[in-house]
Amino acid sequence: MKASRDAFVISVMLVSCYEVHVMFDVGRVCMKVAGREAGKYCVVVKKLDANFVLVTGPRSVTQVKRRKCNILHLEPLKESLEIKDDASDEEVIKAYEAASLFSKLDLPKPSRRAEQAEESEKERPEKKKSKKKEAE
Amino acid sequence: MPRPGLRVRSLRKMKIKLPGGAFIIHYFKRRPSGAVCASCGKPLHGVPRKRDVDVKSLTKSQRRPERPYGGNLCPGCARQKIKSRLR
Repeated sequence: MKASRDAFVISVMLVSCYEVHVMFDVGRVCMKVAGREAGKYCVVVKKLDANFVLVTGPRSVTQVKRRKCNILHLEPLKESLEIKDDASDEEVIKAYEAASLFSKLDLPKPSRRAEQAEESEKERPEKKKSKKKEAE
Repeated sequence: MPRPGLRVRSLRKMKIKLPGGAFIIHYFKRRPSGAVCASCGKPLHGVPRKRDVDVKSLTKSQRRPERPYGGNLCPGCARQKIKSRLR
């Protein structure tokens, strides 16, 4: 009796593990349900762990930063994108357009200004370093 | 005998010891009751229990959790609400 119950529990656990494995595949579109980014869409870019995935909005589209996220804080949707493992934000935006999700999820297309701001953020630390080098 | 405006039970009183050893009473207005979740009634964290005047001097991020429904719903109820909005 006990053995059969154990077998049942193990089978349930295996099924749930499999479901989690499938639900949070690379390219899966999710909604964040916890924290300041709750209620915003994001895409799974990479699997880090049994419990953690790397997630990105991208920031210029849905204001979700590229960051590690617990799968308990995500709600998977039906939609999934065709992207590589560890894809860049630009590739994700292209995949969004290919799947025509901008109109489906009612997302604003990334404006030029937002892209420029992100680029300038990346450039800033490099400029500082170069100035220091010149001074030396 | 305190002045007539202070002879009311709605004020909070605090006994304070003076350097000379004498006690006097200071009068304060009472704090409002704490914020609770609008759907389940749980007390909310991160919402200061202060009078409006004191709350106004705080920054916006110090007044409520920076989350959708922050300061109105508890995190569990907010999560349920966001999930239900999806389906």
